[in-house]
Amino acid sequence: MTNVLAIRRKAERISREAMFDIVRAPVITEKATALSEKNQVVFRVAIEASKPEIKAAVEGLFGVKVLGVNTLVQKGKAKRFRGRPGQRSDVKKAFVQLAEGDSIDLSARLG
Amino acid sequence: MQVTETLNQGLKRGFTVVVPAGELEGKRTARLTELGRSMRLPGFRPGKVPLTVVKQRYGTAVTGEVLEQAVNDATRDLLNERGLRQATQPKVELVKGAEPDANSDLEFTLELELLPEISQPDLSQLSLTRLKAEPDQDTVNKALADIAKRQRSFETIEEARGVAAGEVITVDFVGKVDGVAFEGGTANDVNVEIGGEGFIPGFAEQLEGLAPGESRTINVTFPADYQAAELAGKDATFDVTAKALKRPVEPAIDDDLAKKIGFEGLEQVREALSQQVRQEYEQLTRMRIKRDLLDQLSTRTEFEAPESMLDAEFNSIWQRVEQDLKNGSLDEDDKNKDEETLRADYRRIAERRVKLGLLLAEIGRGNGIVVTPEEMNRAVRAEASRYPGQEQMVVEFFMKNPQAAESLRGPIFENKVVDYVLELAKVDDRTVTPEELAEVPPANV
Repeated sequence: MTNVLAIRRKAERISREAMFDIVRAPVITEKATALSEKNQVVFRVAIEASKPEIKAAVEGLFGVKVLGVNTLVQKGKAKRFRGRPGQRSDVKKAFVQLAEGDSIDLSARLG
Repeated sequence: MQVTETLNQGLKRGFTVVVPAGELEGKRTARLTELGRSMRLPGFRPGKVPLTVVKQRYGTAVTGEVLEQAVNDATRDLLNERGLRQATQPKVELVKGAEPDANSDLEFTLELELLPEISQPDLSQLSLTRLKAEPDQDTVNKALADIAKRQRSFETIEEARGVAAGEVITVDFVGKVDGVAFEGGTANDVNVEIGGEGFIPGFAEQLEGLAPGESRTINVTFPADYQAAELAGKDATFDVTAKALKRPVEPAIDDDLAKKIGFEGLEQVREALSQQVRQEYEQLTRMRIKRDLLDQLSTRTEFEAPESMLDAEFNSIWQRVEQDLKNGSLDEDDKNKDEETLRADYRRIAERRVKLGLLLAEIGRGNGIVVTPEEMNRAVRAEASRYPGQEQMVVEFFMKNPQAAESLRGPIFENKVVDYVLELAKVDDRTVTPEELAEVPPANV
């Protein structure tokens, strides 16, 4: 059985460097921009990051209150590279629900 | 748009212009929407990029663009509204709202100089003299004689005697410096004209009296400015052997000579020559009357020349003068003057040029004189024909560089205006001798 509380406790102790490793880049697409109406932000995150870790990272980096995190893993396509079969990497995306009144300016640089 | 006049002195004007922030914001949004409609961005369908994203990416650039446009528009409106005509590009200085993300009013100052009010001079009051000259018989004869001289042939003299001045002797020679034959100093069958030019000084003279079959050794000194540097200034000896004596024969000026140089008969040659001379005279005539006209016009310019134009013209002249000064190639007249006087002199010339330019432009504008595209084409082709083999490139150059084309347009326009003025002005014809025509009248600045 997974110990949810243990995972949460561990997530609260991650360092600032680790936060940068977890949150890779914002996803800027039509859908992602449309979600900003619901005060949701989309990020590409590390494939091994857990929801509590993402929550802690986003809160720590952007100084906002995160209400919830939904994640999905987009499987990499099997492609042929120079005739050889290859595999594109999987990508994890995180849909982060921010608390009302909080926002993230994606064009600003992080310090 | 709020305009306050801050300066009104002579031709100078200064304004402070305020454009409200709302107006700017409207323009900025319009521009961004327009951009978004045609934008392609990964993650978005074409043209579906939301305004916020467009703003994020291009906001700064668009703001700059909008600001510039706002300044230009405001300037143009201002000038149009007040009916002002500017002499030079206005000097713009942003006071407020220059920062790209500032959401404040745009405030800038404008400094410019106006074109002076130019009244059309009464052209019919100008009285000019058109100096004309006809090619006379003497000139043509002289030209004919020149042609004949160039066509002369040589006739061998059989009698065994020394060569005299004016005759030609065919020689072989070996030239030596310090007893060693030098390169280019040896030749066979060279025609040397006694009393003619073209050799080392003293060479031909020392050959005088030499008879065919004889040999003679002569000493000469190469001139210090001889083109072969290693020989210049050196003493050399030449062993000369004479082979034949010849006499130059000038052909008689008749139909035969005409045929030899490609004409049908002597009459045609005379015709062509006098035609050529007449053309030269006509050009001189035109130059003289144009100069006269400009002189007279310049005395009728009562307006004040805009200072900035004056400065620009003066600087371009002065640059050339300074160049000359450095090279020591100043005109004789200018050599004895100090810099102050020179500056004042050229300042006057610049003023005259600017005023005349303005006046001619005004006359042209007031009378609907324009340079037609055909005339431009002709000028471009004329320019192109000066670079044989590259005509295509030259024509393309002018098509791609409106500024270069403008430099061709200027003289055409000037000539057309001059033609126009000449038609209106009182012109007396006076026939003068060619010498009088060619003399340069004193500068009347």
